[in-house]
Amino acid sequence: MNGFREPSVLPGFGLTLGFATFFLSAIVLLPLAALVLKTASMSWADFVDVVSSPRALASYRLSFGASLVAALINTVFGFIVAWTLVRYDFPGRKILDAMIDMPFALPTAVSGIALTAVFAQNGWIGQYLEPYGIKVAYTWLGVTVALTLIGLPFVVRSVQPSLLEVQRDLEDAAETLGATPLYIFRRIIFPTVLPALASGFTLAFARGIGEYGSVIFIAGNLPMKTEITPLLIVIKLEEFDYNGAAALGFVLLAMSFVMLLSINLVQAWARRGVVTARR
Amino acid sequence: MVGITASSAAEISARPGRRTLTSVVIRWTFIGLSLGFLAAVLLAPLAAVFTTALGEGVAAYFRSFADADTGAAIRLTLFTAAIVVPLNTIFGICAAWAIAKFEFRGKTFLMTLIDLPFAVSPIVSGLVYVLLFGAQGWFGSWLLEHNIEVIFALPGIILATLFVTFPYVARELIPLMEQLGNDEEEAAMTLGASGLITFLRVTLPKIRWGLIYGVILCNARAMGEFGAVSVVSGHIRGLTTTMPLHIEILYNEYAFVGAFAVASLLTLLAVITLIVKSLMEWQASRASGN
Amino acid sequence: MSITLDQVTKQYQGNPVVNDVSLAVAEGEFFVLLGPSGSGKSTLLRAIAGLTAADHGRITLFGRDVTQVSAREREVGFVFQNYALFRHMTVGENIEFALRVRRVKPAERARRRKELLDLIGLPGMDDRLPTQLSGGQQQRVAVARALAHKPKVLLLDEPFGALDAKIREELRRTIRSVQRELGITTILVTHDQEEAFALGDRLGVMNLGRLLETGRPTELYTRPATRFVATFLGAANLLLRREARSGSDLAPARAEGETDSPLRDRRDQEVVAMLRPEEAELAPDRDALLTAFLGYGHVEELQFTGALERLRIRMGTEGAARSSDSRSNEGETSAMPPVWIDVTRTQPEQRAFPLALGQRVAVGTRRIHVLPTPLSSFTACAESRDSAAILMGNPWLVDLTIRMQTRLSAQVEPLVADDGADPVVAPAGVAVVTAGPDCPARVRRLLARGVTPVLCLPEDAAPPSRVIVHFAGQVARRSTLAVTASLLRHVPAEAVFLGILPSDSSERTRTAGLRQLLDVRSEAQAGHGLDVRTELRLGERIEELLRELEAQPGQMLILGLPEPGSLPESFEALLTQSPGWPVLLA
Repeated sequence: MNGFREPSVLPGFGLTLGFATFFLSAIVLLPLAALVLKTASMSWADFVDVVSSPRALASYRLSFGASLVAALINTVFGFIVAWTLVRYDFPGRKILDAMIDMPFALPTAVSGIALTAVFAQNGWIGQYLEPYGIKVAYTWLGVTVALTLIGLPFVVRSVQPSLLEVQRDLEDAAETLGATPLYIFRRIIFPTVLPALASGFTLAFARGIGEYGSVIFIAGNLPMKTEITPLLIVIKLEEFDYNGAAALGFVLLAMSFVMLLSINLVQAWARRGVVTARR
Repeated sequence: MVGITASSAAEISARPGRRTLTSVVIRWTFIGLSLGFLAAVLLAPLAAVFTTALGEGVAAYFRSFADADTGAAIRLTLFTAAIVVPLNTIFGICAAWAIAKFEFRGKTFLMTLIDLPFAVSPIVSGLVYVLLFGAQGWFGSWLLEHNIEVIFALPGIILATLFVTFPYVARELIPLMEQLGNDEEEAAMTLGASGLITFLRVTLPKIRWGLIYGVILCNARAMGEFGAVSVVSGHIRGLTTTMPLHIEILYNEYAFVGAFAVASLLTLLAVITLIVKSLMEWQASRASGN
Repeated sequence: MSITLDQVTKQYQGNPVVNDVSLAVAEGEFFVLLGPSGSGKSTLLRAIAGLTAADHGRITLFGRDVTQVSAREREVGFVFQNYALFRHMTVGENIEFALRVRRVKPAERARRRKELLDLIGLPGMDDRLPTQLSGGQQQRVAVARALAHKPKVLLLDEPFGALDAKIREELRRTIRSVQRELGITTILVTHDQEEAFALGDRLGVMNLGRLLETGRPTELYTRPATRFVATFLGAANLLLRREARSGSDLAPARAEGETDSPLRDRRDQEVVAMLRPEEAELAPDRDALLTAFLGYGHVEELQFTGALERLRIRMGTEGAARSSDSRSNEGETSAMPPVWIDVTRTQPEQRAFPLALGQRVAVGTRRIHVLPTPLSSFTACAESRDSAAILMGNPWLVDLTIRMQTRLSAQVEPLVADDGADPVVAPAGVAVVTAGPDCPARVRRLLARGVTPVLCLPEDAAPPSRVIVHFAGQVARRSTLAVTASLLRHVPAEAVFLGILPSDSSERTRTAGLRQLLDVRSEAQAGHGLDVRTELRLGERIEELLRELEAQPGQMLILGLPEPGSLPESFEALLTQSPGWPVLLA
């Protein structure tokens, strides 16, 4: 009531919040601060030198490009999958539904080697693509495939609830008013699902930029060609170039913040979308 | 919950007048596209893990676990998880209790910070610890003087894993506890129960499925973390290689059966995680269904 | 007294949700807190249980101050609106919970469980899960669970809210009989007046965080002190009536309640009267009425609702019900615009005088109750029609008149009068003027004609969140208190009585001043059911008031003038500041 949530009188607030904040600071915030300060201790020229070297630029192109393409593929197919799971009943639907979360639970290294095995020239799928001159493993296509796998659950899980939400009253109303299924889809379902779709796209895109484990096995890791930004950081570290690693790490971290921000914005928009749709 | 509502949504396509030729075609096109897509990017890799692992027979599969380094990797992984998962569980419960049961300033900000490790690249997660504890790091020289090894040793692996799996339990519990509300806890308070009893006897039974899933998911991620651990581990065979790192080593040595055999263990773990999740959803739908 | 609340206040984000509530509930009494949603009644109940911390005030249970005691140690039974049963425990385990945490022996627990299940009429249901019970049964279990540890106080928060009408009635009866049997002090919170009448030994009506009135159901229904209680406890027609200086001798209806009215000896005053629909009489014409004549009207709506017939009569201008701008020496009652009167008639009345839509009827009143409020209506007084319209458009004023369900009219008043001759009628009710340089002169002119209270409103006045009350001299004490009480029932703000003594006053004077303030507090509490805080300042009166008002925005001043009808020069500073604050002169 009253429009406010009443503050609770339950015990344990100080203890739990205190521990949570302490643990958060020690495990997450302090280390991240170290990265920011390390970067800040570099001279501007050095920083620019590292982050805008041709090799770094090529790695951004790959990381962003492949993430973008993968997120787009996921937006299309994620919608189709979500629609199928919500709208159609067929044998194995529930198992399939449960398996969508597989990329969340599966170690990235495992998905990496498994994808490589499937898409290599002699792999189950790779062998059929080979005659058409399509090489997936060890090219940017492979990177895209890996990022598609990683991003899939984000889109499906974002879209599913909004698809469930839209149907009942709005769709029923539209149908009794005489709208055709296509019209209902275009004017009612799609606008309602759009925010969720955008949210899923952003999540998948953000996840793709930082992804490492599943990509390095299938990427081939050729400098300037199939080298992703996280890998470049690892290489800098192996060369004990801590400044270079920190600078690139800072770029990725900054990207994460931008992504986190846009995810929040998109989700705020999505919530508003849901509210309007409910009205 | 998803399951129940989904089948009632599926009922729409069975309404009178909906079984036109177009709708049937669309229906099967959608199902076909979904199945094909999922088969290519999801099912095929999963199947590949097991077929490759068993590619040279069951005996070869089990022989690969006899390798001393593989055994060491499994033990290290279990040990890491045994430390990381309880810590993050305690954190998750504390954070969820504070966030879901109370209103305070900066709550949204705190939740964003908890989500941070989701957004940060695993490589960056490892990198920050190298910058903190590495030879040139903030505490590097101090650690060196006192002969404490963090990076390229067990503590580094544990820290990096803690970072990466940090949000899982909290993220699972916060929405669940917010949705369940404070009513039952407040009732317990008016009936004279202390805070601890209220938590153990009233809250915990309600959230147990969410907690179990959060813990299992946290465990799966902790055992399977690759990027962050790879940065801090130093890849010392038999000493600082966890299971995913060991997979990489074996794979790069073209010991495919060994690599995929270890991978199959982690895959099984992932499958169990998903089964627990389905059970949890089934429980939740049963509870709300009544 | 088993439950005593002393000035309990609770704020959320600066808004008082429970505002200075004082209340005493006797042992074994069934007290019902009634109010619309958002009135703060649930918050108050939760504060009594210790589920919400009060920001201010004291809560005593059986003589024990429990304000700082946690919910688990208060020994109260609380029944939640949504039952809040532990859904993973059986009915038996739920009921035994309080005993288990108190380490009661199993045999004793089982005995008590059986006893309670019998009491609530669900014997043998021990092993059911809450989800296997109906809503009504679940709420019964919740009651049993709340009683298990033999609490001294039972608190019920809208316990029937989620149930349908029939089960509601049944459960109501159960709770009443359980309460009688155990003789347990009970507070029930509800928004349903029928439920409140059916259950309560005594009621308290809350609105905007304030406990407006308490009393037995019949008392509150027939003789409410406030507009809100009058209309919330049942349908009521609120009428404005002008009364001549000599009293209400010529009033058309027998009026009660004004004997204690502090406005008694004001000239030509306007009062608010309440007419319950069942107290109105309809007849073909004036002579056929058995009761006092109110006016003629036409039947505009007619509804058959079973036992009763509901009518809405549109009053015409003939008879005594007239536009209130015209002045008459006769006691005159006029309904607020739009001039409609709701009437209900029983079956015998319908048979005696059947009515059809559009028919002309004479309306009589069996019983009219005059509300003891000095704020009857508002009249915006300004130099021109345009500036009056701007004043009438003030959002807070509009909001206030809607809340008070009263009239807001305009009157053009030239600032400079010709030799004190008054061509215009004195404005009715509260005169509203714009604060500013012209304000003091305008106020003086109004005061000279006997118009009080006067409200000086800055153009950008916002709804106040804090009201400062001060009176300069004992003459104004009663009227200031009455005006304050009346206004605060409609304004969600905290109120502070400010006493100001000269800074060089002796120790004795200070003690006396403090005692006087406390007297004022108890007078407000006793006479108006209004609870306010008191503060004592030392210094020069006007300086202190200005300092207090300038300290923070969103304040308002209620000022009792030292002599009725005159505004001392030193007070002008309070009315001319910019940005200013609303000042209500009493």
